[in-house]
Amino acid sequence: MFRLIMPLFFIIISIVYLVLTFDLPKAKIGNANGPLYFPALIGFFLLIMSVIYLFQEWKKRKEVIEEVKQLLTGRTPYLIAATLILIFIYAFLFERIGFLYSTMLFLGALLFVVNGKKHWLQNILVAVIFSIVTWYSFAELLSVSLP
Amino acid sequence: MGIDFQNVIEGLMVAIQPANLLWVMIGGFLGTVVGMLPGLGPATAVAVLIPITFGMDSTSALILMAAIYYGAMYGGSRSSILLNTPGDGSAIAAAFDGYPMTKKGQAGQALTMSAIASLIGGLFAIAGFLLLAKPLASFALEFGPAEYFLLFLFTLSAIVSLSIGNMVKGFISMSIGLMLSTVGIDLQTSVYRFTFDIPQLSEGIDFLVVIIGVYAVAEVLYNYLHLDRLKPANNKVGKKGISKEQWKRSKWPIIRNGPIGFLIGVLPGAGGSIASMLSYTTERQISKHPEEFGKGAIEGVAAPESSNNAASVGAFIPLLTMGVPGSGTTAVILGAVIMLGLRPGPLLFENNPDTVWTLVNSMFIGNLFLVLLNILLVGLLVRILNTPPKILYPLILVLAFIGTYTLSYSIIDFYILVIFGLIGLAMKLLDFPIAPLILALIVGSDMEQNFRKSLVAHDNILNVITASSVTITLAVMTVLSIAYPFIVSWFKKRKAKAA
Repeated sequence: MFRLIMPLFFIIISIVYLVLTFDLPKAKIGNANGPLYFPALIGFFLLIMSVIYLFQEWKKRKEVIEEVKQLLTGRTPYLIAATLILIFIYAFLFERIGFLYSTMLFLGALLFVVNGKKHWLQNILVAVIFSIVTWYSFAELLSVSLP
Repeated sequence: MGIDFQNVIEGLMVAIQPANLLWVMIGGFLGTVVGMLPGLGPATAVAVLIPITFGMDSTSALILMAAIYYGAMYGGSRSSILLNTPGDGSAIAAAFDGYPMTKKGQAGQALTMSAIASLIGGLFAIAGFLLLAKPLASFALEFGPAEYFLLFLFTLSAIVSLSIGNMVKGFISMSIGLMLSTVGIDLQTSVYRFTFDIPQLSEGIDFLVVIIGVYAVAEVLYNYLHLDRLKPANNKVGKKGISKEQWKRSKWPIIRNGPIGFLIGVLPGAGGSIASMLSYTTERQISKHPEEFGKGAIEGVAAPESSNNAASVGAFIPLLTMGVPGSGTTAVILGAVIMLGLRPGPLLFENNPDTVWTLVNSMFIGNLFLVLLNILLVGLLVRILNTPPKILYPLILVLAFIGTYTLSYSIIDFYILVIFGLIGLAMKLLDFPIAPLILALIVGSDMEQNFRKSLVAHDNILNVITASSVTITLAVMTVLSIAYPFIVSWFKKRKAKAA
C-alpha cells in the first residue's frame, strides 16, 4: 500500500493548489482573471496526471520499491539523519562563529561520520585544509564576503 | 551564410585574454573532477560551482560555466570507463564498451579514444554552431508570444517524453516545477500569488537554491545508498596510445556521429543522453561485427563520445538564440546567467555579439585543453578518481552550502536547500526525472507571460495555435513528442508478434 501514498499526495497537492488558485484576489489592472489562467491549467493537468499515476501504482501495489528498501537498510538511514543534524548545527553556527571555524567543524564531523573514525588524521587534514582554501579563494580571490 | 568573420575574430581575441584562458582551464579541470565522481554529472558540477561566477562579468561567467559543463562531460566518461558508474545519462553509453575494455586491461586506450572522439565531435559542433547560430537567432527575432509559448510547451513535452522512463512521472515533475514558478508577485497585475504572506516568497522561489538542492544535496544523499559498495579504480590504465587498427575502426563512427550528436543537441528537450544512446545503437546496427559490441569494441566508445560532446555544444544554440534550455544542465546554466543579468535570446546576438563569439572560441580552446589534460594527465586523473568518494561527497555538500549562502546571505536558504535536497532525494528514489522540474521552474514564468500575451493577441487558444506556420509546426511537434513513446511501443509489440 506504500505505493499509493505518493499519487494520493500529488492529488491532494493539485486540489489544494486549485483551491488556492480560484481563491486568488481579482486583478485590478488588465484582465481580472489574468493571474489565475495559467495556474488553473497546471493544477488540472497535475490532477489528471496524479489520477493516472494512482491507477498505475494500484496495479503494482504489491511490488516493493527496491531503492526505498535500500534506503532503510544498512547504515544509510543513520548517515542521512546524521548529515541532516550536522547541517542544522552548521546553519546555527555559521553566522555566529564565522565561516572558517563552522565549516571546519561541520566538514570534520561529517567526514568522521561518512569516512569513519579509522581515517581520523585524513579527516582532520581535509577539513582544515579545504576550509582554509575555500575561505581564501572566496574571500580573497573572488571577493565574496563570508562571515 | 551566417558567419561574420569579424565577430568571430574579435571573439577569439577576447577568448585568449589571459583571464579568460585561465577560467576555461579552471572550469575544465574542476568540471572534470566533479564529473568524474561516481554518480555525479554535469548538472551537479555546474550547480555546485555556480558561486565561483559571482562577481565575474557575464561573458567570463558564461565561459567558465560552459567549461565546467564540457569538462564534466569528459570527466563523466572517465568514471564510466574506469568504474562503470556513469554520472548522468549522457555517459551511460560510454560504459557499455569502455568498461569491458578496462577489464581487458585496455583502459588507457579507451580513455584516449574517448578524449579524441570527444574533441572531434566537439569541433564538428563548433563549426555547426558558427553556421547555424546566427540564422537561427535572426529567425527567432520574428517570434511573438504565441511562438514562444508553443516553443516552451514543445521543449517541456520533449524533455518529458525523451527522458527515458515513466512519462506520467515526468509530467508530474514538470507540473510541480511550473507550480513553483507561479509563486510570487504576478508580473502583469501585481497580484500576490501563493506567497502565504511570507515576505521572502513575494519575489518568487529562488531557482538557484532549488537547483543546488536537487542537483547537489540530493545527489550526495542519494549516493549514500551506494557508499560502501564503491570499488576503487584500477590503477593500471595500460597502454595509452591507440593502434592504427583501432583508429581505422573508429574513424568513421567518430565522423558520422559528430554531426548527428550536434543536431540532436540543437533540438530542445533532447540532449547528450539521447545523442549518445542513438549513436551507440546505430553503430551497432551498421557495424560489420555487431557481436563485439558490449564486449569492448573500441568504436562503441568512440561513437557515443563524439556524439555526446557534440550534443553538449549544440545544446547552447537553443539556449543562446531562443533562451530555451534543451536539457537539465543547460537549464542550470540559464538559471545562473539570468542571475548575472544576461538575458539569452535572439537579442543577445544583436546586443552582446562579443559574448556569443567569445564563448564559441573559448569552447574551441577548452576542448583542446581538455584533450591534452585527459591524455597527458591521465595518471593524475586516475589518482583523483582513487580519492575515496567518502571524502569528496562531504566536500560537495560544503560547496553547496557556500553557494547557497552567497546567493542571498541568509541562513533561511540553508533550510530551503535541505528541503529541496530531500525532495530531490525522494524523486530519485521513486524514479521521478529531475530535469523536467528544473526546466519548468526556470522557463515557467516566461512561459506564462507569453501564454497570457498571446491570449490577449489572439483571443482564444485555438487561434494561438494557428497563429503562424511556426506555431502550427510546434504544436504538431508537441503532439508527436507526446505520442512518440506510444508509437515506439506499438511498433515493438507488432514486431514481437511478427517474430
